Amino acid sequence: MSFISDIGAIDTMIGFPHADMKGVYKFITDQVKDTQSKEEFEFPAEYMFKDVPEKKLRGSDDPISVTLREMDRWGIARGMIGVGGEENLGEEALKRHPDRFIPSMSGDPNKGMDGIREITKNYEKYGIRAVGLFPAGTFPQVAINDKLMYPIYAKCAELGIAVFCCAGVPGPRLRMAPQRVELIDEVMYDFPDLTFVTRHGCEPWQDLAVKLMLKWPNLYYSTSAFAPKHYPKAIIDYANSRGADKIIYAGYFPMGLSIERIMTEMEHVPFKAEVWPKFLRDNAAKVLKL
Amino acid sequence: MIVPTGGIIDLGIGFPYQSVEEKKAAYDFFRPLLKDAQSLQEFEFPAQYMFKDVPDVVAADVDPVAWIVDKMDAFGIDQAMTGLSVNGIRAKREHPGRFHLMCRADPNEGMQALRDLDAAKAEHDIKAAMTFPCGTFPQVAVNDKKMYPIYMKCVELDIPICINGGIVGPRMPSWPQLVEHFDEVLYDFPELTMVMMHGGEPWTALAVKLMLKWPGLHYMTSAFAPKHYPRDIINYANSRGADKVMYCGYFPAGLSLERQFRDMPDVPFRDDVWPKFLRENAIRVFKLDQQPTGVTA
Repeated sequence: MSFISDIGAIDTMIGFPHADMKGVYKFITDQVKDTQSKEEFEFPAEYMFKDVPEKKLRGSDDPISVTLREMDRWGIARGMIGVGGEENLGEEALKRHPDRFIPSMSGDPNKGMDGIREITKNYEKYGIRAVGLFPAGTFPQVAINDKLMYPIYAKCAELGIAVFCCAGVPGPRLRMAPQRVELIDEVMYDFPDLTFVTRHGCEPWQDLAVKLMLKWPNLYYSTSAFAPKHYPKAIIDYANSRGADKIIYAGYFPMGLSIERIMTEMEHVPFKAEVWPKFLRDNAAKVLKL
Repeated sequence: MIVPTGGIIDLGIGFPYQSVEEKKAAYDFFRPLLKDAQSLQEFEFPAQYMFKDVPDVVAADVDPVAWIVDKMDAFGIDQAMTGLSVNGIRAKREHPGRFHLMCRADPNEGMQALRDLDAAKAEHDIKAAMTFPCGTFPQVAVNDKKMYPIYMKCVELDIPICINGGIVGPRMPSWPQLVEHFDEVLYDFPELTMVMMHGGEPWTALAVKLMLKWPGLHYMTSAFAPKHYPRDIINYANSRGADKVMYCGYFPAGLSLERQFRDMPDVPFRDDVWPKFLRENAIRVFKLDQQPTGVTA
């Protein structure tokens, strides 16, 4: 334990180990073309990660307790999880531990008005604080600035909830074009009041991500799917200067990173002292309106 | 021409202007798009080259609401759709059951346009939204991403969107209104009710093809004198499209009611089409017989 676990972090991307990983990622593997992704990988971005915690942890009778135990062990106070997923784990976790979990959902721009009604319903029923988007992973792919995304952005702006959207080259072997970071510029121009948080690194356009965060007050960056030793230098520098309020911690447990790995590497990240509570807790609390 | 029981419904009526200056100001919103000298300097009305004289300016002491109600009575018009304006709101209040309101939505206003539609529905029970793709500044195509939140809001509010299709009259680019753009919108919003305005020309055969394909797509005859109704549209109304085509006069933008109803009897609609065209389709498509939520008749 360290100064980090005393802060009471909010992890803006955490999940539960699913029994059926192939089922969870079917929406991605349905559209990959290379043999390795189709036949060898259980987790479609497996080539990037040393080990995938979910593989070892699946099969537990109580996946919610598995995640909660890791949170307790490493000092994570709250985690943002999804409702509407496999096995209704998110709904159950919220019921059992409303003080520990924050509801969000995955948006699907290909669902049209049904997708919009789903957002409204989950907002009313669970009080979701965010909608997650995966432009390269939806089938067919839908770019960050595509017209099919616009009703989702409008609905989130109307409800006052955030969008968490993957940006940068996607890990799974899918076309990267829908997640080019430059596409965010147009969205922020058209929806200046929308809270837009990037996920999964924005690489290799992290300098552009910083430039856009300077330009757009409601654009933020979360560190999901990145082990702390790989946090881009441009992002650390920005957090230590004008961007202290803009960079938000997100893990990737149990999809690709153990919390143990994240938290043991974390203390070596050269954030300034005053940045730590903002990065680990306060910025998330602000964008999620906790 | 067979006048329907209950009278005609005109899906687009405005109020006469009380001065030429007021008339010119009504078109200021797309003046930044015009480049040719004639449009900028000579015309009082930007599509003036297409229309003969319109008696649309009345004396300053004439009440424009009373004036239009007299005209409606004279031509057997029972109900009219009009814009959400000071005159429109007053007309609806002073003449219950005779006026319905539609609200213009500007895709360049972003979220404000959606908030305005919500408020207009709640406060004024608007029966439709309207947008003019070529006339917004900058122009925004029928299938542009900036239109999509407006379409979403129309589905949520359960109101049609009235939207221009075809070559635009005022001398500005027409591409935002290509009729083919409607296909994509109806694919993405199959629940949306779209009413194509201003003719769809010269792609009227395509408009018919798309109306067959998409249950939500309709057509109204705004800004067209009856003698210029496209042949494709008349044939469609007389065959499979009897429920899809609706009368819209569009006074004072180019056409008087005198002109409309002088030409109207010559339109070769079948007998059973007339009541649908002049009234029944409008009631069904725009839900004109529905009371606002929470209000009982």
